[in-house]
Amino acid sequence: MLKKFTQTNEFLILIIIIVLSTVVGLINPKFFSISTLFDLIRASNVYIILAFALLPVVILGGIDISFIAIAAMSAYATHMFLIARGYTGGILLYFVIACIIGGLAGLLNGLIITKFRLPVFDVSLATQTMWYGFTLFFIGATSNFSIPKGLVGYYANYLAKVTDPVTGDTGLHVSIIFVVVIGVLMHLMLKYTMLGRNIYAIGGNKDVAIRTGINHNKVTIVVFVIMGILSAFAGVLQSAFSRNFNPTLFIGQNLDVLAAVIIGGAALKGGRGTVIGTVLGVLLTQIINRSLVLTQIPAEWQKFFIGLVLIIFTALPALRQKRAARLGLAVKSEVSGS
Amino acid sequence: MDEILLRVENITKRFGGVVALDDVSFTVNKGECVTLVGENGSGKSTMIKIISGIYSPDSGSLFINNKQYTKISPIESLNEGIQVIYQDFSSFPNLSVAENIAINNLVISNTRFVDWKHIKSLAQEGLNKVKVHIPLDALVGDLSAADRQIIAIAKALLADAKLIIMDEPTTTLTRKEVKQLFKVINDVNAQGISTIFVSHKLAEIREIGQRTIIFRNGQKVVDLPSKDLDIKTIEYHMTGHSIDISNLKYSEPKLEEIVLSVEGFTRANAFTDVSFQLHRNEVLGVTGLLGSGRTELALALFGQHPADSGTIILEKKKIKIKSIFDATSNGIGFVPEDRLKEGLFLPQSINNNISAKIIDSLKNKFNFIDGKKKSELSAEWIRRLKVKTPSDELPASSLSGGNQQRLVLAKWLAFNPKVLILNSPTVGVDVGSKTEIHDLIRELASTGMGVILMSDDIPELMHTCNRILMMRKGRIVGDYLREKVDEEELNRQLIADTDPVRVGQEG
Repeated sequence: MLKKFTQTNEFLILIIIIVLSTVVGLINPKFFSISTLFDLIRASNVYIILAFALLPVVILGGIDISFIAIAAMSAYATHMFLIARGYTGGILLYFVIACIIGGLAGLLNGLIITKFRLPVFDVSLATQTMWYGFTLFFIGATSNFSIPKGLVGYYANYLAKVTDPVTGDTGLHVSIIFVVVIGVLMHLMLKYTMLGRNIYAIGGNKDVAIRTGINHNKVTIVVFVIMGILSAFAGVLQSAFSRNFNPTLFIGQNLDVLAAVIIGGAALKGGRGTVIGTVLGVLLTQIINRSLVLTQIPAEWQKFFIGLVLIIFTALPALRQKRAARLGLAVKSEVSGS
Repeated sequence: MDEILLRVENITKRFGGVVALDDVSFTVNKGECVTLVGENGSGKSTMIKIISGIYSPDSGSLFINNKQYTKISPIESLNEGIQVIYQDFSSFPNLSVAENIAINNLVISNTRFVDWKHIKSLAQEGLNKVKVHIPLDALVGDLSAADRQIIAIAKALLADAKLIIMDEPTTTLTRKEVKQLFKVINDVNAQGISTIFVSHKLAEIREIGQRTIIFRNGQKVVDLPSKDLDIKTIEYHMTGHSIDISNLKYSEPKLEEIVLSVEGFTRANAFTDVSFQLHRNEVLGVTGLLGSGRTELALALFGQHPADSGTIILEKKKIKIKSIFDATSNGIGFVPEDRLKEGLFLPQSINNNISAKIIDSLKNKFNFIDGKKKSELSAEWIRRLKVKTPSDELPASSLSGGNQQRLVLAKWLAFNPKVLILNSPTVGVDVGSKTEIHDLIRELASTGMGVILMSDDIPELMHTCNRILMMRKGRIVGDYLREKVDEEELNRQLIADTDPVRVGQEG
């Protein structure tokens, strides 16, 4: 069991995270502090939820780049709608309305893909541009900073608080609960429901899945609705953190999220990917971002390092396969007695 | 005992003006293994598709368990217990063995949640039926083709199959794996489940089938107990004419001229200390079972998986082959086994395919491709290799299998190689086209190149080669002149001493 774990992708990311943290901590001891940890978690939460939105699509064998536009459009539209009605309440109603809008936007992706049998990437390329354009043209082109009363203090809604002599008050943000709940539900969905297994089956071999009788269109549509809902959720959360609603939220960050999902062990060609791996993938990219700041390495290097890690993780399955081919096949059958 | 499971009665099926099946009738008894043979286009696959409900017949009917169907839907066919195992084994490489075996049952049962204990017990039940042990947690992508096949059978049995139809199941299996598969099939038959076994390998038909049905041009021409048929008879009925090999015109090697000399060629886990010489105008056969290092040797000579050590001397010049580029720039051509995947640009035109390898030489003085030169070149090769096509502007995918193989040859011949390596050039090609390709290979050698033919088809080697090398466990263990050996001796050597340990796993 232990040996099996040490061969997983997750184990490797964990090792890299530990080594990286140790090195950064030695250079700048400030890295080893509760406040750094809490900051890291808060910053990661939004991206973990975005990565969860993308994960089932990647397992299904598609690459979507429109989820960030759906996030921006849903959050911004919800905000402008509620502000216009003089809403003063908390974040809950934001989540509800945004998730409905996001779910519908995801449904549109799913319907176009299944009706016209188009590649996921092509459709998402179109809907990404479309949603950003739609938001800017019909809803508003500037960031809106008028936050309803119930949302004002949300960015500092901590479960536990620490006071750091340098950076001031910080804490474990309440959104960690969302991440845990969504993560557990996502894991259960992928592992223990027929929907989840069908997603893996389609990602593994689409033709055979269809021949087996799996309703490929239905699964695809559900996956995109989930993507839309979770993207919208992340959009609202990020806007609440940054205390403004931005029509071009997340723009240009879709490939960073995809990178984290891939580092987390999901295969671009589909069929592979886990919740734990995805969480670790996001954490690793966030730690790389932060550690380079703390070690005073220029920000330009961040992208370079993430690129480097990405090369390692995309090359890994190929290296493993090569090794397996050299050593002969790993698994053998035996004819049992008689 | 001879209870009838499936009766096909007077089935006719037309596609446009083409009659694919012409008034075909036959029966399959319970627990019987029937082998179905015929050339490409003889109607075998159409028949399978009618039984499994993918096509509906124009006239005639099917009786399954005495129930009459004038046409059957795919679902009805499945419900009657008819399971087809396609050549891709219908497996999910990313899922575990357990899930692969159980997935049909899960999809049919329409549950929302997955009980892994249930999946494992279902899968174990399936594997028990085939009496093979495969770890349930292993990923199917890590398994050999043979094991994937067995998983497909277990899956069919678990779905209460009454009749399992296998479409060329032995194409990618080693000799030992074929034996294991046959044992599984025998076990399945003993449980009262019938099998239809479609094959191109005539030698296997007598080994596995109780009865052999031969299709030719949409008609059933033979339906006899397999023990009453020999290979020559089967060939005769498949092609409609006997293949005369008594006056084949073999090329005459110039023994004083060595084209290619290989010494001490070694690649870890593939082949060891391989040395041989190839003469001008010679067709040199290399045979051995899957896993003997035969294919690996071919790929090493072509630079796809280069050798670790050893020397190659080509026309008295020592050369190094570390990549495909090294091989082609030295004049070594390669016709791959999988012509569709590796040999052709299927959506591209026939003339583009022919000129692909030598496109540089078609440049005019402005460095543009000279269209006139290109069409002259393609016209010449289409004529010389008798490729049947109305126009060379059509895509390569429009050609039939035999003609596609000719096109691959044309591509390499236009390049005028010094040495041409052919890796199992007639796998999946029917008997008629096979003979024509053999004629072509002998002709090619007579034009002055050296030809190396990798194949495990002994008659093929006897019909084309001047000399045959036998490989076993990565080493050359025999060197035979064609005149001084017969098929039986070669067959005996081929399967002699087949140690169960695969070459890839030694050391």
